[in-house]
Amino acid sequence: MILVNYIASIFLIVLGFYTLIFKTDLIKIVIGLGIVDYGVNLLIVSVGFNPGGTAPIFTVNELDPGMFFVDPIPQALTLTSIVIGACVTALALSLVVRMREEYNTLDAREIRRLRG
Amino acid sequence: MMQHFPVLAIFALFLGAFVSSLIRNKTARNGVVVLSVLTSFGLLCALVKPVMLEGEIISYWLGGWKPVADYAIGIGLEVDALSLFFGLVVGLAVIVSALYSFRYLEYDDAQSKYYTLYLILGGGVLGLVLSGDLFNIYVMVEIMTFAAVALTAYRNFMPGALEAAFKYLVIGSIGSTCILVGTAMLYLQYHTLNLAQLSALISGTAMPSSILAFGLLIVGFACKAFLVPYHPIAADAHGTAPSSISVIISGVLTKTGVYGIIRVCYCVFRAMDQSAVQVFLVLLGTISMFVCVTMALAQHDFKRLLAFHSISQIGYVITAIGLSTTFGLASGLYHAMNHTIFKGLLFLCAGCVLHQTGTTKLDELGGLSKRMPKTCTLFLIGAASISGIPPFNGFASKWLIYQAVYQRASETGNLFYVFVVLVALVTSVLTLASFVKVAQSVFFGQLPEKLKDTQEAPAAMRAPMWIFGGLCILTGLFPAVVVNYFTGPAAAAALNAGSYIDAMMGAGYAGRLSTVPVTVPALQINTLGFYDPITWIVLLLTVLLAFTIVSLMGGRARGARIQGEAIDPKYDTFFGGEAGEYSQVGGADLFWGFKHNLRHYFSFMHGAHSGVVNDYALWGITAVAVTVAYMFLFL
Repeated sequence: MILVNYIASIFLIVLGFYTLIFKTDLIKIVIGLGIVDYGVNLLIVSVGFNPGGTAPIFTVNELDPGMFFVDPIPQALTLTSIVIGACVTALALSLVVRMREEYNTLDAREIRRLRG
Repeated sequence: MMQHFPVLAIFALFLGAFVSSLIRNKTARNGVVVLSVLTSFGLLCALVKPVMLEGEIISYWLGGWKPVADYAIGIGLEVDALSLFFGLVVGLAVIVSALYSFRYLEYDDAQSKYYTLYLILGGGVLGLVLSGDLFNIYVMVEIMTFAAVALTAYRNFMPGALEAAFKYLVIGSIGSTCILVGTAMLYLQYHTLNLAQLSALISGTAMPSSILAFGLLIVGFACKAFLVPYHPIAADAHGTAPSSISVIISGVLTKTGVYGIIRVCYCVFRAMDQSAVQVFLVLLGTISMFVCVTMALAQHDFKRLLAFHSISQIGYVITAIGLSTTFGLASGLYHAMNHTIFKGLLFLCAGCVLHQTGTTKLDELGGLSKRMPKTCTLFLIGAASISGIPPFNGFASKWLIYQAVYQRASETGNLFYVFVVLVALVTSVLTLASFVKVAQSVFFGQLPEKLKDTQEAPAAMRAPMWIFGGLCILTGLFPAVVVNYFTGPAAAAALNAGSYIDAMMGAGYAGRLSTVPVTVPALQINTLGFYDPITWIVLLLTVLLAFTIVSLMGGRARGARIQGEAIDPKYDTFFGGEAGEYSQVGGADLFWGFKHNLRHYFSFMHGAHSGVVNDYALWGITAVAVTVAYMFLFL
């Protein structure tokens, strides 16, 4: 049932946004970014899903117009998006490590030298 | 041959990024960097004649995957005059900033990583503006955001650099997520990612999923342009990044957002005939220009102040774009180009001050015009440009924007546009006011004891700045040439979605699939005419002469001169024995009276920009929700 996927992905995105807004721990904020990313990935994969379709792995000679398979492009997009999500997490965590050393805290409410 | 130039221009930068990281020798590495940025810019310049002047559109399919049965299956690059215009602006800023950074970063370690990230940043931006594929645009957005975040934290010993980078990453991710979800929504509806094909298929249909996608793409690109409410991260990132990177973030990354909004609104969705979209963009631009200029007035850091001004000027650009007239679009693009030039110049001046004195705090600087007269000249050119003083370029483009908005007001009879003209004028005055403040507290006033031995900035840093300085004057003196040969064709290309589609998908494609025919309005510029530089120079000289004569006639010397050491009041009655803090002006600010009267507004704004990343995330997500709700209500 594809509707479940859409509901779940929207739920994940909203949960991630909730984390970004209400959790002040920097690690939790990074986790929130990750959750948003998973929600978006689930959404894109669901976009390309055809109920009853086969896996889209063929050579050129096997293709003919009557074949029924799931859309491969959203899967390629999701792979790219997963890689980018991993990079975001890695970069954010490395910044968090350095901030812990410099500010001696992980509370977003105390890391505010730049304001006003 | 010609159609390979765009992809080669992008790959010159990416290749330079990897080759430069392999070379240990400093001179050779700098040579590779210069070679790759010059190659990229040269390839784009070779496209000026066919694309800008003759109106050709260059399309290129990566790997030769041409469309099959009217469906785009490969990734395409498409260069029309609009893309090329932004590509040239990007290429120029990347060259100037690279030349400047060779000397500017002389005291920093890890320079090879800097240049690798720098070229990746440039390549990402160039790839974005030349791309013809929505998902490719998303990937390029992420590449440039990563490089920009890493470079913001490059000087991680600067107070706040890590913090700024983290906020930029978190809030920037909200924008990127919006662009990605918007892309997925469009794919869900139309099963293609190619901009040209999307444009042909979307025309005239208003499905819920395409409205959602429209709202999300607009808010995503607005985040990349740092419009309100995403402006706090811009201020943090510009303020703490090395100045050569501030030039790129402010002059180039914001332009990708502007480009994205133009491409999405005018070309892909062709939604600019809807008055709801026009009002949305004009309102967004007006709020951005006003909020950011008042934030800038209250700043005490040179670069942070410039950062807020940067977003304020982008507000002008978005306002002009939202008018949906060819004239408005051409003047908006003109201002976008000028913004890159003068804002780049000002950030490089701030970099010179930082390089020579070690600080950018306005309260600690002063009197540097005596020590750094050549930098001061460049600063005055930049400040006059951004404040809109003739004959510099800021005036030429702002004059056109006022005219465009006013023309719109008289056409529609809508009081809203009259109000927009007023806000734009007030913003321009406030911009001038805050640059008077900067000039007073950095270059004029009294030289603090600590800065007595400050040297002039090295010529290797000033030479690239003169490229921008010269362009400030040139593009200001010949507005008609710029509009007729650069921004006019770019504006016409943005409106001409039909030939954009046909160039990519084969002739006649737009006619077969579009339900709405594409009409290209003629470029009408001469409604009130350009300003005449000669008249203005004569006027300025007359006023200056009158002022000089009046000053000379009064016998009393202006200004007080303190003989010897200033008397330290710390042993006066009622003082506790602490050394008094030095300050240029009473009340620490030239405009303290103005700020005192509006203290409720300023203290509210100061409190709102709390610096907590959660608050900024709340603003960003609220903006997403409001935009999407607005689009569903009014489209």
